Amino acid sequence: MIYIGAEEIISPLGVTADQNFRAMVNNQSGISLVADAGLNKTPVHLSKITDLQFEHPFDSLLEKVLISLSEKIDSDIITSDRTILLISSTKGAIENIIGDQFGRSVAFIKERFSLRHQPVVISNACISGVLAINAGANFISAGLYDHAIVIGCDLVSDFVLYGFQSLFAISEKPCLPFDSERNGITLGEACSAVLVSNSPSVFREAPLRLLKGTSANDANHISGPSRTGEGLFRSVKKTMEINGISDQDIDFISAHGTATVYNDEMESIAFDRLSLTHVPLNSFKGYFGHTLGAAGVIETAVSIQMIRNDILLKSLGFQQKGTSVTLNIIEENKPSELKTILKTASGFGGGNASLIIQKL
Amino acid sequence: MSFITSYCHLTNKSCFVNGQLIAARDTDSQDSWLKQLYKEQEIVYPKFYKMDTLSQTGFILTELLKKANSNIINAYQDDEIALLFANRFSSVDSDVRFKRSYQEQASPSPALFVYTLPNIVLGELAIYNKWYGENMFAVLPKFAADFYINYVEILLSTGSGASLCGWLDIADEKIDAFLFFVEKEGKGNQFNIESLQKLAGLI
Amino acid sequence: MDQLKEDLKKQIIEQLNLEDIQVSEIADDALLFNDEGLGLDSIDALELIVLLEKFHGIQVTKPEEGKEAFMSINTMADYITRRKAEQAV
Repeated sequence: MIYIGAEEIISPLGVTADQNFRAMVNNQSGISLVADAGLNKTPVHLSKITDLQFEHPFDSLLEKVLISLSEKIDSDIITSDRTILLISSTKGAIENIIGDQFGRSVAFIKERFSLRHQPVVISNACISGVLAINAGANFISAGLYDHAIVIGCDLVSDFVLYGFQSLFAISEKPCLPFDSERNGITLGEACSAVLVSNSPSVFREAPLRLLKGTSANDANHISGPSRTGEGLFRSVKKTMEINGISDQDIDFISAHGTATVYNDEMESIAFDRLSLTHVPLNSFKGYFGHTLGAAGVIETAVSIQMIRNDILLKSLGFQQKGTSVTLNIIEENKPSELKTILKTASGFGGGNASLIIQKL
Repeated sequence: MSFITSYCHLTNKSCFVNGQLIAARDTDSQDSWLKQLYKEQEIVYPKFYKMDTLSQTGFILTELLKKANSNIINAYQDDEIALLFANRFSSVDSDVRFKRSYQEQASPSPALFVYTLPNIVLGELAIYNKWYGENMFAVLPKFAADFYINYVEILLSTGSGASLCGWLDIADEKIDAFLFFVEKEGKGNQFNIESLQKLAGLI
Repeated sequence: MDQLKEDLKKQIIEQLNLEDIQVSEIADDALLFNDEGLGLDSIDALELIVLLEKFHGIQVTKPEEGKEAFMSINTMADYITRRKAEQAV
């Protein structure tokens, strides 16, 4: 069996998973209007960590989150020969370094924590986080390692912000996933980590069970989602089938929900094809914005916190149905016992990935 | 046991399939090296011209592998071929060009921005070939045979029938690319660290 | 006007990397986003917005505005002429 836990989160809402979760229970969002941030010095809504005063913010966030994570586990495993570090990120330190935007950070972390193996950077657009967690589980199942530390991290940069502005994909208001008024994403920055392991005893707090996840490509367009949700449909279907999970077993879906018109519509179509429209669902983008390579990890971390706290968190920013298919979008926080949850992600390059976590 | 059933290399000067030289760059040509190779393939795919160097390289080499090994086209379902690619510098070529578009020309180019993710090449391959299988793009400090060996064995034991793998090192106009196709059955090069390293370093 | 249309065709070929297409192959009334025309896609549409700003000093703030303007070379030329006239007022 593969276990997952020791989740940590650094975001505008706090520097621990606990702080983040408490803020979310109080319906707080990390998104605010940032003056001069956009192209031609326009104000833009962002979920930005304001006190990020480091010379190398990307390296420092990786370091900070790994220190926090080590306090939640048997810290000997960090330097173990049986441990691999997977870093999920789209652009790394692009603001400072163009070219080798991961090299220095990875070398720094490897040295700083005396890691035995070369860390692997998974850079697969917005599905990187879910893919990295799945890769960690795969490495362990295959007997190559016993533990995989997965860190997802991306920063807000001019590079990425101007890019999404050139695509007219940035929302004027804070993003509104699945809502009828939604009109684009809000970018966010965050760093989040989880431990995946074959040993329940290395976690200080009881872990959960991680089932085998899968990915599938849309084979449709490099930057636009498939109209039929084909890749997402295939990935979730595979993940459910290989684990013998039916649509009745799933208690909650942490959807991707970027709040672009086409993405959220695509997801609704895929969930309809999967007979999952009855399952309570949200997008966490209203709390953190779209944190790109960090998104899959941070959203899995919060989902784990929801299971631990027996609560469904509402889909912040959602008011009115905005997709052709009606989904069961969570409108208010409510206590609920959660046993099995599905996390999905979709992204540029046509990628889709999914994973399932169960309460033990 | 699995096998490397076909492989190819591309450098700035030459292109090899299964170790055999199949094309050399015409330095007098007006066309870019990749465009020269594209023209030699008998396909019409105007989208090729819009791709960045990373995607063009992945695209051309995949076409060459398909010619050399018909299994890639015929032997697998649309979701059975997994794509596992890696390189050192992510999408640096497009990153530099996109940054120039907003810093020097003050107009960020959306067409350049969409190529500033290394996994876009996987999307291009999936779109053209209608492949719905597993995808992963990793960034590593150097070609690591064990990474491919380990992860392909995982992919092949969890539903994928074959894996198209690539190392696409492209930076400062310098191309060092190696693509190989791994199948569960076949003959020739066994898929192990020793033979993979040997094939990778062949050119 | 004819000069503007010729210029537009050259600019489109350059900006959108349509390397296999010649100016003479683009008819003034061909539908740019139709597969029988140039077969452009949504990213190309955004790139046309960049083109308008870069070569003609015209800002399009909402992509929807571009939709009608970008139907063909004729509509693009009309749009540019109209916007320039507005700027002159």
